[in-house]
Amino acid sequence: MSEEKTVKNRKNKFIGENVNRIDGIFKVTGTARFATDWPVANVAYAVIAKAATAAGTISGIDSAAAEKAPGVIGVITHKNAPKLTPAGNLSGGSVLQDAKIEFFGQHSAVVVAETFEQAQAAAEMIKFTYAKAEARVNFDELIKTAQKSPSPARADVVRGDFEKAYSAAEHKLDAVYETPIEHHQPMEPHSTIAMWEGDNLTIYNPSQVVMGMRGAMATVFGLKPEQVRVITPHIGGGFGAKGGAWGNTALAAMAAKVVKRPVKLALTRQQMVNSVGLRQKNVQRMRLGADATGKLAAIAHETSTHTGTTSQFVEGCGDVSAMTYAVPNSLISYKTTAMNVISPTFVRGPGKAPGSFALECAIDELAYSLKMDPIEFRLKNEPDKDPANGRPWSSRSVVECLRRGSEMFGWKNRKMEPRQVRNGEFLVGSGVAVGSYPARQQGTSAIAKLTRKGTDVEATVELAASDLGTGTHTILAQIAAETLDLPISRISVKIGDSSLPPAAGSVGSVGAASFSNAVSEVCLQCISELQARSPKSSGPSDPVPVNVAELMSEANLTEFQTRVDARPPAQAGQYSSHSFNANFAEVWVNEQTGMIRVNRMVAVTGAGRILNPKTTRSQILGGCIWGIGMALHEESILDPRWGNFVTRTFADYHIPVNLDIGTIDVAFVAEEDKIVNKLGVKGVGEVGIVGVAAAVANAVFNATGKRIRKLPITPDKLM
Amino acid sequence: MRPFKYTRATDVAAAAKTVSTNREAAFLAGGTNLLDLMKEGVAKPSELVDISGLAFSKIRSSGNVISIGSTAKNSDTANHALIRRNFPMLSQAILAGASAQIRNMATNGGNLMQRTRCTYFYDVNMPCNKREPGSGCGAMEGINKGHAIFGWSDKCIATNPSDMSVALMALDAVVKVSGADKKQRSIAFADFHRLPGDTPEKDNTLEPGEMITSIDIPMSSAGMAANSYYLKVRDRASYAFALVSVAAAFEIKGGSVAKARVALGSVSHKPWRCDQAEKLLTGKSLKDLNDASLRAAVDAELMDAKPLEHNGYKVELARRAMVLAFKRALKSEVVA
Ligand SMILES: Cc1cc2nc3c(=O)[nH]c(=O)nc-3n(C[C@H](O)[C@H](O)[C@H](O)COP(=O)(O)OP(=O)(O)OC[C@H]3O[C@@H](n4cnc5c(N)ncnc54)[C@H](O)[C@@H]3O)c2cc1C
Ligand code: SF4
Repeated sequence: MSEEKTVKNRKNKFIGENVNRIDGIFKVTGTARFATDWPVANVAYAVIAKAATAAGTISGIDSAAAEKAPGVIGVITHKNAPKLTPAGNLSGGSVLQDAKIEFFGQHSAVVVAETFEQAQAAAEMIKFTYAKAEARVNFDELIKTAQKSPSPARADVVRGDFEKAYSAAEHKLDAVYETPIEHHQPMEPHSTIAMWEGDNLTIYNPSQVVMGMRGAMATVFGLKPEQVRVITPHIGGGFGAKGGAWGNTALAAMAAKVVKRPVKLALTRQQMVNSVGLRQKNVQRMRLGADATGKLAAIAHETSTHTGTTSQFVEGCGDVSAMTYAVPNSLISYKTTAMNVISPTFVRGPGKAPGSFALECAIDELAYSLKMDPIEFRLKNEPDKDPANGRPWSSRSVVECLRRGSEMFGWKNRKMEPRQVRNGEFLVGSGVAVGSYPARQQGTSAIAKLTRKGTDVEATVELAASDLGTGTHTILAQIAAETLDLPISRISVKIGDSSLPPAAGSVGSVGAASFSNAVSEVCLQCISELQARSPKSSGPSDPVPVNVAELMSEANLTEFQTRVDARPPAQAGQYSSHSFNANFAEVWVNEQTGMIRVNRMVAVTGAGRILNPKTTRSQILGGCIWGIGMALHEESILDPRWGNFVTRTFADYHIPVNLDIGTIDVAFVAEEDKIVNKLGVKGVGEVGIVGVAAAVANAVFNATGKRIRKLPITPDKLM
Repeated sequence: MRPFKYTRATDVAAAAKTVSTNREAAFLAGGTNLLDLMKEGVAKPSELVDISGLAFSKIRSSGNVISIGSTAKNSDTANHALIRRNFPMLSQAILAGASAQIRNMATNGGNLMQRTRCTYFYDVNMPCNKREPGSGCGAMEGINKGHAIFGWSDKCIATNPSDMSVALMALDAVVKVSGADKKQRSIAFADFHRLPGDTPEKDNTLEPGEMITSIDIPMSSAGMAANSYYLKVRDRASYAFALVSVAAAFEIKGGSVAKARVALGSVSHKPWRCDQAEKLLTGKSLKDLNDASLRAAVDAELMDAKPLEHNGYKVELARRAMVLAFKRALKSEVVA
């Protein structure tokens, strides 16, 4: 890559290189410590018992047997639980404050015992009786009476006059797209060790937002933030489920307080479905109008969905329709109905992933009615500034992504007409879609510490960032090493601890941009401060090359440290910044059995400076694979009578397996964005999945002539 | 999960005795199903008798049968030369099930004994007549996309999930069992699993304490080796239970079908032997086998299907899957 580096004339070049994960060795040797791996003396085990009804109150609890069961130290229910202040600080999940039940599987008791098995056996002995209320769990019925979302963030967004432009449009599409409830189900289920020393709480807990978790626990337990320490150096995936603080973490801390011992609490896979949020079910009505030449005149993106009963969280499916295409008249709206389910929350590509499924399939459908190549149709409606807010793009590479992707994929060989390509029992089809996700930097502080022994300098960068397994450790080491011009082996990265300088979270694709700019700045500041101290130096003018060992020895220092509070550049807010993606899929559909294989996929991403193509590629691969899961497999099904999920395990909640995945080619287009932030980093955590499901669904149409507007596309739907 | 006693069996009779006298005891083989059920609180044995060390792990030819030991691993069975040569469809069926890791643990006896995957059966908060007789059937008016279209009762609509069993049904296998007091008997495969009727808690016709020692397949079924196929249709490419599966095997003699064996999986409480289709295909000259005649045989079989609210697709899927499996089994013999 010939991109300009942040720093010049370094011998040690790491930024933008394929550096292997520095934490990889710890992961493969099993020495990386995840939350419950920490050796803690005298730890007791907690298991949660859950409600077996979706609405009403707990009218009776018989916990006598559980209390007497071997090894049991404590049984906590709403009757004896310490009073907490959960309101607003937890994303959801009960903390046993009253008898009310809001959803099936709500936490209803915690049993603490000497061993996990004892706690589990005792938890099964607790008998609840309920005063049941009518549960709002039948989505298909409830959605009929959905009302305008009361959330200000989901108020109608109107541009021009949709109805007029739509009714005048030559080519129209009016179709409804449906995506099911989905669950994050990261490899590591949520798990916590909580321990108290006096009034100080320490939790080992996977937290995407370390400081957010600290703040939430402080409020819930009525503490000052400094009294809470959150430790989370490694996280086994989160995807949004570990973004907020949920009841399970508070319950671990509560249990530790009650039994006056450290407590370990790990959710089971089955418990994950009603403990840590979900992606809501969305019914999206799309109306698109275009003129005879393929110019879009009108888009309406109307989403009907559900919330929980105690939160108004609604993901923004319509966002994509506000900014993807140049269209003068648009309407974006949300209707919601409350349901007795765990609160919906952020899930990878929140809003954008299901929203793009609707928009990008609708675009494909309209392209067919225009008899126009769907890429040409998209190019024709490419906006020169962000239609959502009129701001200029800090950079936008949709066109390049589409052009590059269509070359890589061989799009020109695609037959527009469906059912044209056959290979034995299979119908073969190709589809395309684009995706995007906002890019932002958030305030993040960082400390750099240098230690010198002779001519050898070691550096540690410290910040309360988190690593979901995506490579945060590695990119920060790369930046520190190159900026300080040290070998990467001389860099330590200390993150995942709330006692470190406050940092943004690994959420909403802000992590990489926020953390990397802070580390870059603190290392640059190190150099300029050392130069200022050096008797030989003429001052902090960044002469090149840099030699921190020399600078330190000239200043007679063996230790040096400095701190920055990095902030996003002021001008960034006047621009619109997003990461972009073009996805191409080739599917093989067995005409008889309806089984679908995504044989080939191409994803081309424009996401500013790519700090590490290797880890970034993995992110995009993960997005593609999850997108295939979204298109073909994933569906959490509620029993409409009782509100329980019938898809509690991976036996019923399908995600793709190796054999479902064909070739995935990932490429990046060069985007030099000097506006979004100093390093020009945009983030790729979310964008990789946006657009994938639509590309697959469009390919299924191209193969079979069947337009499946309800995900997942399982064989029964093709019968 | 409740505490339980664990013992390692050293001989069949003693193991059978323990399990027949203690009604809460269970045999433990590979544990890939039983341990899951225990963790879910579905099975609550007070005692596990581990039979994996007993001498039933051989696969051998004896006289006119191939005898498959009950404690032989699924993977060893699928890859065994005797099986691959004589009953390739059985290898295909086993390999279509679960994952490599699970097949390395799972035994043949355990595979036949594995319990339904009905989600209401697995969730102890739900009513289920199979798990708790008299509590009702959660699936009947619930999410029954994966449930039966044949032979169900008003008590239970579950399906048997075993792939291996579908092939064994079509291969006319015999299940050899040994009970307390060393009583041995042979059960024709068609009589091994049962329909739910009023007692869905009973999956099969074993008596308490009876242990499967081997599964015997007559060599006469090896005549179908060249023209057999196991087709599994599922929601993803691997590691998923069947939506519908088909075991189809034919013996071709003198240009016509001398013998036809067809069974369907995941459509009933037991592997579903397709007598009607077999009858219509047997004796047919190969030149009369075409889409229409295959379809006619299939339609005759599916006429009696009784789909539920969410599994109507299974009838059409079975129709297509059977025709496809027939064609793949008959390979070059028919012009598609
Ligand atoms: C994730 C997953 C996916 C799977 N997918 C598939 C699939 O796609 N297709 C498929 O067919 N199967 C599938 N299986 C099921 C698997 O095949 C069974 O779990 C396995 O065959 C059981 O064998 P086991 O030896 O582990 O039995 P165990 O779990 O040890 O025992 C199961 C039952 O059989 C009884 N038992 C065991 N041996 C004997 C005996 N000799 N005589 C009498 N009773 C006995 C036990 O008491 C117990 O009740 C899957 C399993 C899992 C966990
Ligand atoms: S179908 Fe059978 S196993 Fe499933 S809930 Fe009904 S009774 Fe239980």
